[in-house]
Amino acid sequence: MIVSQLLTVVNMLCYLRRVKQLVDDLRSKLETARQGGSEKARAAHRARGKMMPRERIDALLDPGSPFLELSPLAATGMYDDAVPSAGIITGIGRVEGRLCMVVANDATVKGGTYYPITVKKHLRAQTIAHQNHLPCIYLVDSGGAFLPMQDEVFPDREHFGRIFFNQANMSADGIPQIAAVMGSCTAGGAYVPAMSDESVIVKEQGTIFLGGPPLVKAATGEVVTAEELGGGEVHARQSGVVDHLADDDEHALQILRSIVDMLPPSGQPEAGEVGQPLIDTATIGDVIPDDPRQPYDVREVIRRLVDNSRLHEFKRLYGETLVCGFARIQGHEVAILANNGVLFGESAVKGAHFVELANQRGIPLLFLQNITGFMIGRDYENRGIAKDGAKLVTAVATSVVPKLTVVIGGSFGAGNYGMCGRAYDPRFLWAWPNARTAVMGGEQAASVLATVRRDAIEAKGGTFSAEEEEALKAPIRDQFEEQTSAYYSTARLWDDGIIDPADTRRILGMALQVVTTPAATPPTPRFGVFRM
Amino acid sequence: MFKSVLIANRGEIALRIMRTCQRLGIRSIAVFTDADVAAPHVGQADVAVHIDSYLDVEEIIRAAQSAGAEAIHPGYGFLSERSALARAVESAGLVLIGPSADVMDLMGRKDAAREVAEQAGVPVVPRGDDAGFPVLVKAAAGGGGKGMRVVRAEAELDDAVAAAKREAAAAFGDDTILVEKLVEHGRHIEVQVFGDHHGNVIHLFERDCSAQRRHQKVIEEAPAPGIDAEVRHKITTAAVDLARAVNYTNAGTVEFLLDVETGEFYFLEMNTRLQVEHPVTEAICGNIDLVEQQLRVAAGLPLDVVQDDLWIHGHAMEARVYAEDAFNGFLPQAGTATFVSWPAAARVDHALESGQTVSTAYDPMLGKIIVHGHDREDARAKLIAALDDTSIFGLTTNVGFLRALAATDTFGDATVETAWLDTADIQPPSIDQARAIAAWAEVRSEVEHYQGPWRADSWRLSGPPAPARVMLDQIVPVDRHRGTADGFAIRELAVEGDRLVLSVDGERVLAVAQVAPYSVEVVVHGQRFVFRRPDGAQHEVEASGSIVAPMPGSVVDVRVASGDVVEAGQVLGTVEAMKMEHALTAPFDGIVTQVGAVAGAQVALGDLLFTVEEADQSDE
Repeated sequence: MIVSQLLTVVNMLCYLRRVKQLVDDLRSKLETARQGGSEKARAAHRARGKMMPRERIDALLDPGSPFLELSPLAATGMYDDAVPSAGIITGIGRVEGRLCMVVANDATVKGGTYYPITVKKHLRAQTIAHQNHLPCIYLVDSGGAFLPMQDEVFPDREHFGRIFFNQANMSADGIPQIAAVMGSCTAGGAYVPAMSDESVIVKEQGTIFLGGPPLVKAATGEVVTAEELGGGEVHARQSGVVDHLADDDEHALQILRSIVDMLPPSGQPEAGEVGQPLIDTATIGDVIPDDPRQPYDVREVIRRLVDNSRLHEFKRLYGETLVCGFARIQGHEVAILANNGVLFGESAVKGAHFVELANQRGIPLLFLQNITGFMIGRDYENRGIAKDGAKLVTAVATSVVPKLTVVIGGSFGAGNYGMCGRAYDPRFLWAWPNARTAVMGGEQAASVLATVRRDAIEAKGGTFSAEEEEALKAPIRDQFEEQTSAYYSTARLWDDGIIDPADTRRILGMALQVVTTPAATPPTPRFGVFRM
Repeated sequence: MFKSVLIANRGEIALRIMRTCQRLGIRSIAVFTDADVAAPHVGQADVAVHIDSYLDVEEIIRAAQSAGAEAIHPGYGFLSERSALARAVESAGLVLIGPSADVMDLMGRKDAAREVAEQAGVPVVPRGDDAGFPVLVKAAAGGGGKGMRVVRAEAELDDAVAAAKREAAAAFGDDTILVEKLVEHGRHIEVQVFGDHHGNVIHLFERDCSAQRRHQKVIEEAPAPGIDAEVRHKITTAAVDLARAVNYTNAGTVEFLLDVETGEFYFLEMNTRLQVEHPVTEAICGNIDLVEQQLRVAAGLPLDVVQDDLWIHGHAMEARVYAEDAFNGFLPQAGTATFVSWPAAARVDHALESGQTVSTAYDPMLGKIIVHGHDREDARAKLIAALDDTSIFGLTTNVGFLRALAATDTFGDATVETAWLDTADIQPPSIDQARAIAAWAEVRSEVEHYQGPWRADSWRLSGPPAPARVMLDQIVPVDRHRGTADGFAIRELAVEGDRLVLSVDGERVLAVAQVAPYSVEVVVHGQRFVFRRPDGAQHEVEASGSIVAPMPGSVVDVRVASGDVVEAGQVLGTVEAMKMEHALTAPFDGIVTQVGAVAGAQVALGDLLFTVEEADQSDE
């Protein structure tokens, strides 16, 4: 008895250490990313009298407003780690009492130019704004496309042009598009203020032109200064490209606030009565076992997330590997689907049923993903697990209520689909630092490939030694190990950010308030054909 | 005792007299003008009678008669020292609560009063050969410093007198000149006296009113600091002698100039009324009610104290709260006092409540804060605390100035002379500290307003909470987590609604802050600060000296020529276009350097019509 208690304590300490280590690692990566560009670049930026992009956001937001930053670790480990946060800061904060999407270039990072992930991050912010009817505020300070990678930035459907397509369509949908030009705004970038409903430029600092002075000289031989070509005075007094002329960054931010202040009321909801979980939400990480293969009861996570720790569980006795239930998070109703083991046919059907129910009631869905996949094997295949899986995937794909996903563990294979992975358009998707995302586990992938190789070799009468097998498997395992990591995912914007598990409740509460904006009310539910 | 008394006054003194009347069961009758319909003294009185002017003797007598008053209390100011009122009251068969008309007449004339004083053996400022040097040479008919000069040596006297005579003759048509001893370091000491109709004359010790600005008393105290028993005895005896000499009845004040260097004192004048600063005397005399004594004496009763009953209890101070911008040329202020909170731990005689409008029609004094301590330093500490605890919003007052004044070393050391405050450099409370507090309060109000996951705790997904950046007149960083605002270390000690008790850089500061959508109004150390966020979209439209045609049209009027000096807003000319006349005005004070406009000429949009060069600002 005493021994087992002791073991529990030792285990607890191990968990604590592991989670703490993961969170410390996350914090240190965030700290690095928050620095922005090189010290030299930052000093030069400040010397021009410009505020750092995060300072601009701090000053734009209401005093004390929280800022739900999106994908701060975008581009981590990419482009030689030269583009922290992908050179652009995006997120949701409160301006004059209204939640807005802020998109701010970081000119200290490669002059604020757009790398492929920068474009993706900008577009993702716009998508969130569009889905949730959030006014967009662009703090423009960018040299435009990163030319050496123009082929990955410029031409495709989800490339640079989409930024302006989105602006036009959001404006058409009554979502305010507001821009402040606080630095360069060249070529394609010039369309950000030009496509905005109302825009500001900072005097002797912001410039807008389709072609900068070097290009003009090359094309026509005309020698002109940037200020004469497209400075604040020109655009505010002559061209009419902008609507307001600001003296400096602070003044520009003041004007932006004034613009938002005068928008008609948004109807964004305030949080209702909030009951705290009975177990401190900060202890949520303690639930995660040290070894990802070790199972645990996901209800322990839910108890630390939901108001009063109350989960009204649906079909508790059926398809037990998928926990479904209604709860409230920070006063908002939410329908939770959480993995508690591998998905069986029953679990999948139960999930599909529950998704329908949430749609019927108009309650947002929350997926807590920790899934190795659907159960495989003859018995299950023969009983049609594929069609049961399809039911869940159909329900999730065609669901009209807002969906939120948090990857709290593994996200493998078709489980990723059924549990509302990135492809299923959750309004937000976050990952815990221990999250692992891949088509399958590294070991399994290596085994599959080794088996295929062995079969091929043996079919030709050859032999496949254990050494040869290991030589084949090792690099595959390594590759999967690297690519399965949460940081690999977040760098590529497969999520909206890695979060400290202790912040999950807060972040979900914020997100629920965002997704329940009346203007973003879901349409009447309708589903695709369910394979019965 | 009277059954009903009309109070021919307004403001705090009317209320103060009413309080005593009500305590004694006397019906109080107020008078009020159109401007004072909603004034507090109207609401406090048992009866209120409308009049056109507080200065109209006949009207006041009529009001007293119609309301059935037996006596009239004139308060201070207005008609309080007019013998005409005293005579009219008497002939109407009523009683004036004050001295007789004859005494008012006698003491109202400075030369006559000086003679009376001399006869009574009261020292007066030496004149002529007795004066010694330095002396002040001044016109007898004079005032305003005209013809006045200081002479330090006999050799210069004749020339100075001759020059003064010329100036006096020119200025006043009377070349009578007085040569008077100049007291270079003087303090204003006054003695409260009281006489009844039974031959009793007493004094209630002295007050020091040296803290005055342009002869306007600012802080008064009793007893006078640094006066020894001998001087006190001499000066109070002199005052009683003078009062006795004129058969003075009711409350009066004998003012003296005390020469700091010699300890000599000289009679200045006698005020034949209850003084503004009478509460400090009440405070040190065991809370005697001077208005009650006035009523008794006027009703023919004897004073109910004798000299031997009186001794000095501790120390008292009074600060006068005015509607004026003390740190901006003492400009009178008017407006609505949106919120008023007077200190709880002080006697406050006031007539200003939340929501009340203050006009410049009457005296700008809003109230008086009176404290009593066991000694001077204790009283001073209480005065500072009381001023810190005074918050008046919507209207700028001198409370911050009073607070700063009370905290000066000069005041603390009791070395204030009458001339000091006119040139003293009283530093206003720190605007930087006030701004930091205002920003702190704004963040705090956001914290209170927003609950739930989007609460205003500056949370950041990617790092530690960011300092809030509050837009006031400038951006002010506030970090609630670290407890800093604009570089000040701030800790909340207690918060109750708008009242914040903070530790600011270790100093305990009481502040009241009201956060509005575009501004924060804060009162710190009695001083009101309003931080208004500029209108974001309002551009600094730089005034251009080039005045161009605003419309295509014709010039119908040219009013200036090149070289003319013009003021901002002055019309330079007019252009008629589309049936409208457009006045072209000077953008700033300056000189017209060019006139392109010709009357009758057609002009195109943007044609340069006038050029004005800005006047050199450095002259100011």
